[in-house]
Amino acid sequence: MRNKTARLFQTAAIFALGVGGGTKLNLTPQLKRDASQATQVVHQRVDNESVHTITLPHDEPLFGPGPGREEFITACVVCHSPRYITMQPRFPRSTWLSEVKKMKDVYGAHISDEQAAKITDYLVSINGKADAGNAPRGTYGE
Amino acid sequence: MDRREFLQLIGATGAAALTASCNRFNSVSGALSSPANLVRFPEKTEMILLTDRPPQLETPIHYFRQDLTPNEAFFVRWHLEGIPTSVDLRTFRLNVSGHVRKPLQLSVDDLRSHFEPVSIIAVNQCSGNSRSFFEPRVPGGQWKNGAVGNAKWTGVSVKSILDRAQVKAGAVDVSFNGLDVPPLPSVSDFVKALSIDHARNGEVMIAYAMNDHSLPMVNGFPLRLVVPGWYGTYWVKALSDITVLPQAFSNFWTDKAYRIPNAPNGTEDPKNLAKGTIPINRFNVRSIFVRPEPDQTVHSGIPNELEGVAFDSGNGIRRVEVSTDGGVTWADSRLGPELGKYSWRRWRASWTPKNRGHYRLMARATNGIGETQSTAQWNRSGFMWNVIEQIDVSAV
Repeated sequence: MRNKTARLFQTAAIFALGVGGGTKLNLTPQLKRDASQATQVVHQRVDNESVHTITLPHDEPLFGPGPGREEFITACVVCHSPRYITMQPRFPRSTWLSEVKKMKDVYGAHISDEQAAKITDYLVSINGKADAGNAPRGTYGE
Repeated sequence: MDRREFLQLIGATGAAALTASCNRFNSVSGALSSPANLVRFPEKTEMILLTDRPPQLETPIHYFRQDLTPNEAFFVRWHLEGIPTSVDLRTFRLNVSGHVRKPLQLSVDDLRSHFEPVSIIAVNQCSGNSRSFFEPRVPGGQWKNGAVGNAKWTGVSVKSILDRAQVKAGAVDVSFNGLDVPPLPSVSDFVKALSIDHARNGEVMIAYAMNDHSLPMVNGFPLRLVVPGWYGTYWVKALSDITVLPQAFSNFWTDKAYRIPNAPNGTEDPKNLAKGTIPINRFNVRSIFVRPEPDQTVHSGIPNELEGVAFDSGNGIRRVEVSTDGGVTWADSRLGPELGKYSWRRWRASWTPKNRGHYRLMARATNGIGETQSTAQWNRSGFMWNVIEQIDVSAV
């Protein structure tokens, strides 16, 4: 029941977004029906406390351009906030690479080896530090 | 609005739209070494923001001046992006199934009216509480001491539910799943398990109330598993499914995640990682300074109150010693009343700094069976921090 309600709200939000942004959305009959039901859900929430709903705030940092940014946005941010990067201390490339591999091999992120290398480049550029060994010092602005 | 589903929809229209959608919601530029960022989530007060999606929110230490951590300030930690944001109590059911004779589908009203209510005061602490203090630093939620809280939990014992469902002979484990869902089909759903004996010990319970009120949505509304004395990873939020298993439970979150070195206090050498690991389980003994807070200024020549909390996995805190000279000399603090063996216990000491200057304060708890805090500790995941607490303060 949660998924259904969430879907209704999401549909309503998409609907509102489309209208508010001036974008013409081509709503299917199903989407129109969902949007109409979503309005009813909002009313139910007011009238009947048995439906408990919250709206999560979004407060995500914006990162500047850099090599690998597109891959980072596509592969990482689809599942979690970029704050998972910014809350970490600066790590060397080897640590970031192992984190990317962990996301790919263990958590199930869809990342090719080529993308993994680019994402690692980007993570090092925004929150990296020199490896004790072979990492180029100064390149990533420690 | 559900961002996961939003992204999935928008993602279908291409990467350019995806990037644009991200920009649309980016309100704050990323400051990599910014001070604590306070944020307010629904039904919560201002908390320290670790991550916003899924939310990880840390409790500011001053809330630990209260024995029971207020619901609106209780820490939040989710694993999967798809966290529940709406629950309809008319249709919500707790499903009990698997190796049982009578599968059950229970509404929250059923739990409230057809089972004997039980209450317990218990600490819930994240496995990675205090992770940011490990050296060398380890990746993960960079918590300070605020991924912990103490609350009165009211609900129904898991034993009474399993008895109602009539567990068949040969049950081994019981798994617990919540309403949160993975962002991709390839990501493992967050499900945890306890042994059948642990689940039926009469203490493990399902809470429908926290400090006598409904749980905030981000703390697990409408039901949360309570596993007294065990780390928070087992306290499944928005609990919707209990499955009794005739074999050992196995999944990513048990087999690969939340494991500790199979060594005393879960410690290993960063240069020589432990080969064997086991699932994280009971709390070790630890204390937390509540007052003063780190880097706070105190007054020389007059008594200052030192205060904190200490807890373990249920043996009870017998002693908390305090040092005001960096560990050279120690004195017993005054222990507050016991609120239950799974509650934390308050400790206080009075301290008059003779001179102005810098002081290192330390606190060391000992439990009822003589276990105490560690002097050094490290593991790759940053779990189970219990090094003797220390804070630096200035006396003026």
